[in-house]
Order: sequence, then C-alpha cells, then structure tokens
Amino acid sequence: MEKKVLWRVIVIVAVVAAAVWSLWPPSEKIHWGLDLEGGVHLVLQVQTDDAIKAELDDAAQRLVSFAADEGIDLGTTEVNAESFRFSVEVPANTDREGLDEIIGRSFPDYDVTRGGTSWILAFKPNIERLIRDQTVRQVLETINNRVDEFGVAEPVIQRQGIEGERILIQLPGVDDPERVKRIIKSTAFLEFKEVMAGPAPDRPSLLTGYAGLPPSDGEVMSGNRTGYSGEVLGRSYYLVKKSSIITGRDLRSARRSQDEYGAPNVQFDLVPSAADKFGSYTSSHIGIPMAIVLDGNVMSAPTIRAKITDSGVIEGNYSVEEAEDLALILRAGALPASMIYLEERTVGPSLGHDSVVRGVRAAVSGLIAVMLFMVVYYKRSGLNANVALMINLIILMGAMAYFGATLTLPGIAGVILTIGMAVDANVLIFERIREELRVGKTVRSAIETGFSRAFGTILDANLTTLIAALFLFQFGTGPVKGFAVTLSIGIFASVFTAVFVSRTIYMIMLAGRDRVQALSI
Amino acid sequence: MRIIGDTNIPFLSYRKIALSLSLIIIIAGLAYQFLGPGLNLGIDFVGGTQVTIKFRGEPDLDQLRDSMAGLDVGTPTLQRFDEAEKHEILIRVENPEGEEGDFTGPIIELLNRDLNTGIGDAFDLNTQGAHSLTDLLAIDDPDGTGLDEEGGAEHYGPMAEAVLSFRKENGIYTSMDQLDTIDELSDPVRVFIKGNAALGEFALLGAESVGPAVGADLKSKAQAAIGFSLVGMLIYIWLRFQLPFGVGAVAALFHDVLITLAALAVTGREINLPTVAALLALVGYSVNDSVVVFDRVRENLKLHRGEDLEQLMNTSINQTLSRTFITSGTTLMVVLSLYFFGGDVINTFAFVLLIGVIVGTYSSIFVASPVALGMHRMLASYRDKKRKKGRRRR
Repeated sequence: MEKKVLWRVIVIVAVVAAAVWSLWPPSEKIHWGLDLEGGVHLVLQVQTDDAIKAELDDAAQRLVSFAADEGIDLGTTEVNAESFRFSVEVPANTDREGLDEIIGRSFPDYDVTRGGTSWILAFKPNIERLIRDQTVRQVLETINNRVDEFGVAEPVIQRQGIEGERILIQLPGVDDPERVKRIIKSTAFLEFKEVMAGPAPDRPSLLTGYAGLPPSDGEVMSGNRTGYSGEVLGRSYYLVKKSSIITGRDLRSARRSQDEYGAPNVQFDLVPSAADKFGSYTSSHIGIPMAIVLDGNVMSAPTIRAKITDSGVIEGNYSVEEAEDLALILRAGALPASMIYLEERTVGPSLGHDSVVRGVRAAVSGLIAVMLFMVVYYKRSGLNANVALMINLIILMGAMAYFGATLTLPGIAGVILTIGMAVDANVLIFERIREELRVGKTVRSAIETGFSRAFGTILDANLTTLIAALFLFQFGTGPVKGFAVTLSIGIFASVFTAVFVSRTIYMIMLAGRDRVQALSI
Repeated sequence: MRIIGDTNIPFLSYRKIALSLSLIIIIAGLAYQFLGPGLNLGIDFVGGTQVTIKFRGEPDLDQLRDSMAGLDVGTPTLQRFDEAEKHEILIRVENPEGEEGDFTGPIIELLNRDLNTGIGDAFDLNTQGAHSLTDLLAIDDPDGTGLDEEGGAEHYGPMAEAVLSFRKENGIYTSMDQLDTIDELSDPVRVFIKGNAALGEFALLGAESVGPAVGADLKSKAQAAIGFSLVGMLIYIWLRFQLPFGVGAVAALFHDVLITLAALAVTGREINLPTVAALLALVGYSVNDSVVVFDRVRENLKLHRGEDLEQLMNTSINQTLSRTFITSGTTLMVVLSLYFFGGDVINTFAFVLLIGVIVGTYSSIFVASPVALGMHRMLASYRDKKRKKGRRRR
C-alpha cells in the first residue's frame, strides 16, 4: 500500500477507535434525555419577596423585644415590605440614646431615620439583593437535601442565571411525579405556638373576649377539624402568640412513626439548645394548649401534660405516605420562601420507552432504505458511501458520548436527518465523478476532479446548515438543544466521512492497478 | 443506473408562472393565518397545561369533560392520543390568564376524585410509586421477615421496583392478574398486593405545563433563533457569493418557511418547540439546496465569461438536477420513515420536514435562481443608469 494511503487509513482507524472507545459501553455513555428515559423537568420561581418580608417582620419583633429587655417600651411596628423598611412607634419619654445603641449593636443592616414619634429602619443598599441571593441559595440547598433524602438518581438542580430567581430541576426516572412535586414545593415551616384562646368554630366567636380584634402579640390561625376516622368536619380557629416557642430549625431529626392505634404520625428530636428552651417552657405551661403549626395551618393543638424536653410527636390524620413525606421535609429543612411552578414537563417511562422504540425503528428503516438505494444506484461506489455512512454514525455517537451530550427524541430525529443529508455529500461527489467520466476523463482523474470540485460545494452547503444549527443551540432549550447538538456533530462527521473516508476507500480500490478501465459508479 | 440523463430544460423561462404560483400559495396561506383560524400555537408558546392519561378501559369522554368542569381554567380540549385501542387521551386546558402555578396537580386530583372513587387510602398501582409500596410492605411484612423498617425496605424494595417496572413498560395495570407475570414477587407479597392495593382507572403518561413567563420566553427565543439564522445565512452567502445570490437564497428560505407554515395552519397541527427545531432544520436544508446550484453557477461563470446569466443558470440547474433529485430522495426516505414510524410525539416534526423537503427542492430551482437573476439585472441596470448619469455630467 502506498505510504499516503496508509496514513489515511491510520487516521480513519484512529478516529473510529476513539469514537468507539468513548462510546463503549453505550448503555452507560449515552445520556438519555428526560423525554426518552422518563422523568420530571421543573422550573420554579423562588418568591424572594417572602424572605424580604420575613426578615423585616423578624427584625421589627426583635427590636421590640431587645428594647423591652433593657426596659425600653416601644409602641406598635409597621412593616412596609415593598419599600424594604419598617417603622416603630417611639413614645415621647423613651430613652433615645439607649434605643440608638441597641440599633447600632444589633441592626447593622439598617439605616435609621429618627422622627419625632416614629423611627424608620430601612435596608442599607445591597442588603435587599443579598437577602434575595441568600434565599435562592438556601432554597437550592434545601431542595437538594429533599431530593437526596427521597433518593432520586442523578438529579439536576440548578439556578438559572447567576443572580436568577428561577430554579431548574430535572429528576430522571421518577415513578410518582405528583408526590415528588409535593415534596419539593412544600415550604414545611413548622412552628410551635402558645394558644391564647380557642378552638372556636369561627373567627368572631374566637375573638369575643378581645373586642373582635387580636391583641398586638397574637394572631388568628386555623386548621382542619377532623372526626375519629380522619374525615374533615370543618375548621377550627385559634388565637396564638405571634412569637414561636420553637420552630422547624430547632429540629435535629424527624421520622415517620405510629401511635398506639397504628395511625401514622411524625416523631421529632430537638437540638440540645432548643430542648432546654422547650423544657423550661413546657414545665411552666402545664395545662395550657400548644398549637403545632405547619405552613400557617394548625395541625393539632394538644394540651401540655408534662415537661417535654427533647422529642415530640406531630399528629394529623396522615397516611403512611404523607407522614413519610412530612418527616422527610422536616429533616431536610424548611424553605425560606415559597415557590411557584413556571414550567413542568413530565414524561412517564412508558411514553419515553415508546418513543425510543419508534425512534429507533424509524432510524433503522430510513437507514436501510438509503443504503439500499445507494448500492442500487451507485453499485460499488454506493458501498463506499455506505461504509462512510456507518463510520459517520459511529463518529456521531462517539462524539455525543465524549461531549456528554444528551440524546433526546428530537435528537434521534437529528440522527435520522443526518443519515439523509450525510449521503448528500457523497451524492455530490459521485455525480461529479460521473460527469467527469462522461466528458471522457480517465477514472483516476475523474475521481481527482470529482472530489476537488465537489469539496467547495460540500463545505458551503454544510456550513450554512451549521449556521442554522448553532442558532438553534443558542436559543433552544432541553430536547431542542439535543437536536441542534446531533445535527452539528453530524455535519462535521459527514464532511469528514464523505471527503476523507470515501476518498481513501477509492484509493484502496484503485491501489496497485496501473490502468483502471472502469469505475463501478 | 441513471434516473435523470442529460437534460436541458429552460427552467428560468417558467419563472413568471412559478413565482406567481408560489406567491398565490403564500398569500393564500398568510390570509388563512391572519384572517382565518390562524396557526395552532401549542402550550410551549401560549402557555397552558396538557396531560396525557392512559385509561384501563375505554374512557368516557363526557364524564371526563364533566370532571374537568371543576377546574376554573376554561374548557378542556380532549383528544385521542396514539391508536384508539391504547385508550390514551390528551387533555389540554388553558391556564388562567397571567397566572403561574402547578396546574397538572389539580387535574390529576380531580381525575382521582371522580374516577377512583372506590379506592380510598389504598395503594394505587397505577399512580403511586415504588417508594410508597416499599414502605407499605415493610410495615405489614407479608413475608414475616421480622426485620425492622430499614431491613424491610431492603427486602421489599426490589419487589416494589419490579411491580413498578411492569407499569413503566406497559403504561398501566389493567388487571391484578398481571402481577402473576412478575417473578420477583414472593407468593405472600403477591397475595398481599392483590388484597390490599387498588387498581386505579388511569395512569399518568405525561404532563406538560407552561406558564405565561416561560411561554413568552420560549416564543421570543424561537423568533430570535429563526430571525438570526435567516440573517446569518444571508450574510454568509453574500460573503461567499454575491448579494443577488444571498437575496435569492433567502427568498427561497422565506418561501419554504411560509409555505410550510401555511401547511401547518391548514392542517391545524400544533406548533411547539420541536416544530420550530424542524423549521430551522428545514432552513438549513433549503439553503443547502440553493447553495449547490449557486456553486455551480459560480463555477460556470468562470468557465464561460460573458455568457448570459440566465443561460448559465439554466445550464447549472440542469447539471445539478440529478443530485438535487437524489438528495431530496434520500432525505425523503428518512423523513418518510420518521413520519410513518416515529410515533405521535414526533409526527408534526416529521410533517414539517416532509413539506419542507418537497418545497425546498422546488424553491431551489424555481425561486432561488429566478430571484437572484432578477436582483442581478436590477443591480446591473441601476449601475448602468448611474454610469450614464455620470457621463452626462462630465
């Protein structure tokens, strides 16, 4: 074999070997898209306004209680979350220097405007953005924990954009998407609150002792009233203290358990510092009911019968699944802000399975049709093109595996389209060779001119397709991106195989023959 | 073997008829889109929710409609998915105006409430997952292993997975007897599941929900992708050839895209993201075709200087005619197999390519070159006038 030909063969073998090596074993190396494997794709918007409001509420309460600790009595507070500030009523005879000191010491994130009877504390510049950013990070971490606890293999949980408030979640192979969605979305903010009055069947009767309005340190909350077998009878209203005794943050662990009748409930343990606080509170409030509030809903309001220190039980007519999920999200932590769904795409595994079967069937039948045609029409040269086509497909799959690209249903369509268009380069070359042969050139020079003349055309034709594919990649999402990727790689592969591989095959066919009379084309 | 021999068809002589024909189709298509029913934009672009449900038996569409009336999200569209004997229905609703949120959840809940009345708290083989089943088995321990819950989960987990993988493959359990085909189950477990689990009437095959924010986002992205790639093509061909050819190729592109859109509008097919991907693939294909002809024109221009451009174009089209037909043919083969075997999900995608390949082949002959020729003549006469003007001034 000529040296030149040998070199070409080595290059081709190396490329194919590299492709096979990066592809093997295909079941592990090719990433299936959610639309083929089945799974859930979610885009959520974090309501960071929630966190801003919570921070302001919390700061206002803290200020009043810190001041009270130092003997300073402040009036009512008012939070204005839209303009990132809260105001507090400062009576005329207040120790203003003392108050100033408290603010300077404990509220470094706020600018103070001191009015006559009302002071305004507003976020310093950037604090708002910082809180939003932290909130999204915290949400990410919490979702990560929850998904981890639930046990989903290879989840994708990403923030969209550096400062974005959207979160993208992809969970492959999920068999109960609704359950996972519930687990991800529940805020799971757990609070234990002192009950001041209630339960009552409605708000007015609850507040009869308070002239119809809750006191400044209290708020009205409600929960389902249920019968013995768990059926909902109506709602119960409670007046509870605004400040919580302990919250979900104080939990060390939580697990599903059951009561003496076998009904599922959730048991929790507290961290040591909270256990002390809880112990001293319960021992001094025996006989008083305590509300267990989850996301603003009163789950139950048991009366404290003895000192409770480090563990407790949440009951609420749960099914096993619900108790399991509640324990899971309590373990994983509460979300600092609520979320809303912007986008959901769920593909059940059977649908994905179906798509794969049909996609492969379409690809194979298309491939066979094209290959048969090429052999019938171009005879041995058609075989040449078919070898190039097979190598093309191997390179395409290998490159996809190498780049970690995801194979989606439109991606399979891209592969199929590549099959159709890849032979175009060969067709261009073969038609050109035929033309050259017709005007009476020898086989060798016909092949020579055929390839060189067709090359420019092939380049132009493929580059334009590449332009379309690149813009598609730039602006596409998910499955469509997969299509752009396969199409782009297919373009490169087909230029290589049609121009380089086919040429080499001709060289081998003609090697060692001095005068070639005819070409099978 | 040769399908097309040496031809000498004066294609450009037919340009007036061809261009008028194309124009009529395009204008009719545009009129249909803007004055008539218009394009059927899918939820990717207008927002909305669509769930694909597989039923155990023949679904009662009226009852489904009644169930959906409980949603305050407008009238649902019910549509059969795939073959009739598969009992698969696609339910599509519009989301409340401007509102974001989870709308598949409530649909599933409603179906559950109305169709699975007798089930209560029992484990539903058709909607619940392996985790729940494992928990249930671990608690009740039908095998009598005496293991704690963690050990129980290890023992029963693979069985639960096996029960679910049957559903993953077949979409739905239609009868408890199908559990007999699952070899991983121990007999007590099989008996336990048959006795304690329930067979829900439906299974969720797929769900898609796109809120207004994402919908608007996707729409502008799709428009940008199509717009930018058209401009990119124009610039590329302008640089590689000359302006008239760029204009000719892009005119052919517009022609192909507009006619394909008209076909989509007339057939009422839904336009979603993959449809846009197919449109862009068609853009690539169509330019590809025009470029091959133009390349030949450029080559012939060098060989036969001074010859009339129209004559040269005719020669070039004839010279590349067999290639044009063969490539269209091979591409059509694969697109047809995608159209017929690819399944419902990808059918519109294949439809776009099918129309696109046919129209694209036509336009590379009857639109791209005539427009390029017209543009070339316009530019030439413009230059002529300028030159004459210049002379007069002198």
